[in-house]
Amino acid sequence: MSDDRNNLSTDSISFEDIFQASPSFMSVQGPDLRIISANTIFSTTFGDNKGRYCYEVYKQRDRKCLNCPVERTFADGQPNTSEQIITLPDGREVPHIVYTSPVLGSDGEVTAVVELSVDITPVRQLEDKLRESRERFRLLFEEAPCYISVQNHEMRIIYTNRRFKEDFGDYTGAFCYEVYKHRGEPCLNCPVAATFHDGKSHNSEEVVTSLCGKRMNTLVSTAPIVNAQGEIEMVIEMSTNITEIRELQGQLTNLGLLVGSISHGVKGLLTGLDGGMYMLSTGLEKDKPERVDKGWQMIRRNAEHIRSVILDLLYIAKEREPEFEVVPLHDLADNIAQMLIKRAEDLQIDFQVDLSDEVGTCEVDPKSLKESLINIIDNAFDACRVDKHKESHYVRFKLTSDDDNIVFDIGDNGVGMDRETREKMFSLFFSSKGVEGTGLGLFTANKVIEKHRGTIKVKSESGKGTVFKILLPKVRDKSDQ
Amino acid sequence: MDGVSMTSRRKILVIDDEPDVVCYLSTFLEDEGFNVLTARSGSDGLAEARAKVPELITLDITMPGISGIEVLTSLRRDPLLMNIPVIIITGVSGFEKLIDYRKVRPPEGFLQKPIEPETLLEMIFKLLKPEI
Repeated sequence: MSDDRNNLSTDSISFEDIFQASPSFMSVQGPDLRIISANTIFSTTFGDNKGRYCYEVYKQRDRKCLNCPVERTFADGQPNTSEQIITLPDGREVPHIVYTSPVLGSDGEVTAVVELSVDITPVRQLEDKLRESRERFRLLFEEAPCYISVQNHEMRIIYTNRRFKEDFGDYTGAFCYEVYKHRGEPCLNCPVAATFHDGKSHNSEEVVTSLCGKRMNTLVSTAPIVNAQGEIEMVIEMSTNITEIRELQGQLTNLGLLVGSISHGVKGLLTGLDGGMYMLSTGLEKDKPERVDKGWQMIRRNAEHIRSVILDLLYIAKEREPEFEVVPLHDLADNIAQMLIKRAEDLQIDFQVDLSDEVGTCEVDPKSLKESLINIIDNAFDACRVDKHKESHYVRFKLTSDDDNIVFDIGDNGVGMDRETREKMFSLFFSSKGVEGTGLGLFTANKVIEKHRGTIKVKSESGKGTVFKILLPKVRDKSDQ
Repeated sequence: MDGVSMTSRRKILVIDDEPDVVCYLSTFLEDEGFNVLTARSGSDGLAEARAKVPELITLDITMPGISGIEVLTSLRRDPLLMNIPVIIITGVSGFEKLIDYRKVRPPEGFLQKPIEPETLLEMIFKLLKPEI
């Protein structure tokens, strides 16, 4: 039955029918490029055209085209293909793909060429759309406000976006852990490896280091890229820089800590101040000069402490610029010693003051320097106060100088510091005194000494004691201040 | 019963590591007629309490060495001292969270520094058992 139908088809449809019914332009041209014959759609579109030059009809030109495929087929006897723009009678220009085929005579010579011309406008439109969409995706990939990299199974980087290249360099082919973290081996809990493993998206927070050595906190998200067989071929990794958010969070935490530590410290000092007022007023009432004196000392001491906390706060809140003036250092140190003698007595600490009067003058900010030294000596007192293992305690306050520096030497035989305390002692809000300390004192003292271009050297041993040596250059370096 | 006869010779132990606070509280309470004992650390405070068994204790929380919370816990576990009323006097806010009240009976009184001396006195009067 089917054979019958096939026979019927070939018998009843002639080549002429196919030629005429073709939905594309078809024409037969002679060696002079004149049209010998054309199909229905060709004639309908371009009108009566027999005997006219094909370039007149197709392109409304008065001379033949360069690289004419018909001419090439006449020359080489081979089928040819080329893309041409055809101009329709209404002036529209339409892209076509043109196929040419030779018609051979009995002597094997090319006597005519058949030209089939297919409108490729829809293909072109699709191609344009594809190009546009590719460009859009490329732009999205390149300009996304995050770092994007695509990695293979080996963790090698295959593609990266512009922002990634800017901050981490163009290291296609390198291991991601080398580029992101300057590591020699894959990271623990790698989200890319997890995505390769389970095909799911993973998130993590990472600390990465850019090309110029800047450390950043990044929020990393990964997603699988699957091939036609459903296998995970690559993993895309997107990292958003959240350093600013983390810094802000840190500042807010610090602010909270600050408020907490200050409020506790100040509450204690206010109680001491209340105590002093009570002693003073009841001492006067009851005519007890000793009590009056004790009350007065308490007021002075606690007011001094409150002042110091507030000054520290101001120093942190607004980095106060030092006001330098030439000061006789012996007098400055002696003034500090006089202020602290009473406190040492109260605490039964042997306060050994040894101030050389040959150190002369130096250009310093007396206010902040004084506060810093008081802070350090106060810490020494505290270190003795909380130490329960020694019979007696001393705090040494010595002023000397060498060729280049003024040297303040503050030593004690208090509790001393362990390694962690030594490493963190200059950090803001770190206090070895638990909730009693504000964690401001040594931080501020260190800043002040830095502003004087000086250095603080610390030696301390847990259980034995601590020595602070503060070195201030005799001649102030005024550059960059 | 007036203030003086109410307080006369009654023993109060003040435990605080800050010398100024100890001086303030002891002077004030002595002026009010109490017999005041003082201790400048948690361990000294416990020793003093065991040796002299006060009728009331004021206790600071943050002290070097044994903290006030540890002192309170030890007091509550000591059959001799467990019924002594304790007033916490501290600058720490929210210290209550630091104590596990399933294990330790809460302090009888609590005052935030800086304190109002009259409030402290009222609290002490309320907590001291009348003398027989």
